[in-house]
Amino acid sequence: MSDFNAPDRDVTRAIRSWLHEDRHEDASRIAAAVLDRVESTPRRRVSWWPARRTPTVSKILGFAGAAAIVVAVILGARLLGSPAPSRPGTAATPSPSASVEPSAAPSAAEPSASVGGGLQGPYVFAGTPGVATTISISTPGWYDEDGALIWNHTGGDPPEGAGVLGFTESDLWYVPADPCHWASTLPATHAASLDALVAALAAQASRDASAPAEFTVSGHAGKSITLHVPDDAVFNRCDQTQFCTWANPVVSPAAPCFRHHQAPGQIDEFWIVNVDGQLVAFDLAYYAATPQHVIDEMHAFVTSATFAP
Amino acid sequence: MDTDLVRRAQGGDQEAFADLVHALADRFLAVSHRILSDIDLAEDATQQALLNVWQDLRQLRDPARFDAWSYRLLVRACYAEGRKSRRWAPNLRLLSVDEPMVVDGVSAVVDRDQLERAFRSLSLNHRTVVVLHHYLDLPLDRVAEIVGAPVGTVGSRLHYATGQLRSALIADAQPTTREVAR
Repeated sequence: MSDFNAPDRDVTRAIRSWLHEDRHEDASRIAAAVLDRVESTPRRRVSWWPARRTPTVSKILGFAGAAAIVVAVILGARLLGSPAPSRPGTAATPSPSASVEPSAAPSAAEPSASVGGGLQGPYVFAGTPGVATTISISTPGWYDEDGALIWNHTGGDPPEGAGVLGFTESDLWYVPADPCHWASTLPATHAASLDALVAALAAQASRDASAPAEFTVSGHAGKSITLHVPDDAVFNRCDQTQFCTWANPVVSPAAPCFRHHQAPGQIDEFWIVNVDGQLVAFDLAYYAATPQHVIDEMHAFVTSATFAP
Repeated sequence: MDTDLVRRAQGGDQEAFADLVHALADRFLAVSHRILSDIDLAEDATQQALLNVWQDLRQLRDPARFDAWSYRLLVRACYAEGRKSRRWAPNLRLLSVDEPMVVDGVSAVVDRDQLERAFRSLSLNHRTVVVLHHYLDLPLDRVAEIVGAPVGTVGSRLHYATGQLRSALIADAQPTTREVAR
């Protein structure tokens, strides 16, 4: 018997006890399979990159090689910047017709280094088939978690967390009419153009969407729109316990939602760019309590974006 | 891990690498099984992580850091496997940490199903921190090194996960409490 009104001590004891239960795993077959494959598995050359960078690069390359459908770049707390808006949720949204030119031209061939407790320099989004998308990280405190996710030092959780996701799929956005009951409200066809995608997002129920605004980045036109997850949303009552902005039931029928949200109250600025017919979407996710300077940093990442075929 | 063994494996000694694999495989599988809560995904993650150890071992500059380095590969493999079943698994919030605790002093029976269910509701990020800290007994700074996040973030994740698990356990216990009250 445990009293969970008691301090975390009792919960911790229960967790530890449960974790240490014997689960009868047997790895001998796995070990044999690995050793069988060693002969045919080439070893990577020694890199002179900083040690922490290597796994990230490997991951990025792995993603790209796999032609992943989703390139999710989650940056912790607040990314986008300038052309924009004051903070969604409290006031305005992206300013119309803002012109955003890259502040730097990062080299796509030179991924971010891990410097002083975070990523710095050019960061290439992993797995962006068709469009190599690079942003410049000029402030410390940003972390790549697994090659596809980048977080601010506060992490992505409420109350102050934030992150940026990057999507580069020109034909994979199915925007449900209801983000909670999304499985039954998916459209028959995807949003295949910038205008169609923004219109579908603007029409999504319960999102308190801002008016779409136009912008340009690196010479490419785009539109931005800010959506909110209602404070009283109960994810547990949503389809697959997910509050879902968009999905792709064709490519991933078992787990179609590929942008579901972290928590009620989350604010998402979608900055969607038309890159020669391919759509690239940045999703800057944060919360009302996220400090403005973090949001400004996220904006700066987006305004620094460059794209290459 | 024996640093001489690591050095020999770095040099291409396949017998040394075989010893490393046999030393790591059970632990890797146990850790990945707990993080992913799925034995099939865990086996795939373990196999991929061990192959990555082979591929990348020459890039490890300090053999004394092999343990943290290899666990980092394992955690990355777990994230990759996790994505196969759930695209960009977010941090689902099934229960609020701030939810008032109303068990009225009645102790709840904890069984593994309750914990399993509550644990599955956590994000991979949170599960990973819980497993590395509570199963491997790693201090938070080592966990931070492995997951590539600041210590403060790791501490925050652990605190959040513990709160979520407690809330879930209380919620699960509530029907039982009501039954007792009748």
